[in-house]
Amino acid sequence: MQGTRVLAVGLGGEAVKARNGTMIAYDGRMTFKRLSGGGEGLRGMVTRRLTGEGMTLMEVSGEGTCWFADRATEINLVHLTGETLHVESSNLLAVEQSLRTGTEFTGLHGATSGQGLFTTTVSGQGTVAVTSDGPAIVLRVSQGEPLSVDPGAYVAHTGQLRKEFVKDVNWRTFIGEGSGESVQLRFEGDGLVYVQPTERQTIGGQT
Amino acid sequence: MSGLGSGATVYDARSLPQDDNVNPYSFCVALDGEWFVQKGKMIAYYGRIKFEALGVGALDRLVTANFNSPLYIQDWIVAQGKGQLLLADRGFDVNSYDLEVGNLTIRAANLLAFQPGLDLKQSIVPGFVTLIGTGKFVAASNGAVHFVEPPIRVDPEALLGWADCPTPCHHFDTKYMRGALGMARRLTGLGGASGEEHQYDFVGTGTVLMQSSEISIDPNLIPAQTAQQNQPPGAQNIPGLPNLPGRLGRLLQ
Repeated sequence: MQGTRVLAVGLGGEAVKARNGTMIAYDGRMTFKRLSGGGEGLRGMVTRRLTGEGMTLMEVSGEGTCWFADRATEINLVHLTGETLHVESSNLLAVEQSLRTGTEFTGLHGATSGQGLFTTTVSGQGTVAVTSDGPAIVLRVSQGEPLSVDPGAYVAHTGQLRKEFVKDVNWRTFIGEGSGESVQLRFEGDGLVYVQPTERQTIGGQT
Repeated sequence: MSGLGSGATVYDARSLPQDDNVNPYSFCVALDGEWFVQKGKMIAYYGRIKFEALGVGALDRLVTANFNSPLYIQDWIVAQGKGQLLLADRGFDVNSYDLEVGNLTIRAANLLAFQPGLDLKQSIVPGFVTLIGTGKFVAASNGAVHFVEPPIRVDPEALLGWADCPTPCHHFDTKYMRGALGMARRLTGLGGASGEEHQYDFVGTGTVLMQSSEISIDPNLIPAQTAQQNQPPGAQNIPGLPNLPGRLGRLLQ
């Protein structure tokens, strides 16, 4: 990392997968190969087309250093040791070669929260770079301590979490008044949730 | 991948700072009772918290006591219950302030939350609200907040609020508009307005709060009725005063 908004990756012959167009500079020898369908093979490609969780990855390999950044958003590194990270595809910046990416059905609530019906999963062992608008806050969810998150501030989560869509009891009072806090994502179980100090697509369609 | 080991702090309900900043961009309220919160500023919470629109049934009492602004009532909700409430606002810097039997006026859109110990009243300056009483409130600013003392002139966009001092007045740089050339400028709007002819003038004793940016709030991002109010009355709205696009320019529109 250089600062908090640029990711520097040192490569010695290995490769990383990064979102298309996020490379800002490199030195040494690098090759950029577009990975159709996120490098998940034909099945993954078709799935992404169908689910709209569109994501174009490129494979960067070579020797030297490569710098990545995305609209000066904050970059958070997440280390995975076998667990699965659920992340919105628009917040995924780069993953190590060893990690698998895929799509997952998140349930019907995704449609109402404006995030789409599907989410991207990253699993395996390695490091993932996740972008967030403002530094992300990591919140732990444990048994008996559920966490509610504004859908616009949700970035990613790991662990054994149940994601549930909650409407506030008095949600009717909000109808016709735009966004209140009437819609929340409730997480129960054990795991970590990443939230950003910004709400996307809430009032005026930010971002 | 290089640069490993950025051990991001993991918070849970107990380790979250109580009534303090989590990072410069978000604030954690240890809620036990009621807080007024601006709509859409909650990003996450632990515990049992209910959000209710103002003016609904049981909350009428609170509204009549603490919320004296029909203009902004649509933008505010009450958070009730016990738990940790995280607030943030578009990645702006967030700070909390304590008020003790004081009064403070602040740009309405930058106020995120306040305790019911404070009374909210609409300021006579459009787009601003005044908090009176004792309690804590949370406000956002684009960039760090600077506290300055009058006498001072502040750019309308950079002004966040003011405390314990008389209401400001407009100040226009009239010298610039004098003479034949100035007349020409005024009529045509040509010949260069520096964009700094209009300020808010503060005199007396007190504190003035400024943010380090002139981007106050994107009007597209705030609820409709504050959008108009939030724009400080620029010279365009006031006839005979120097600013773009000039009187002639207005006629042509």
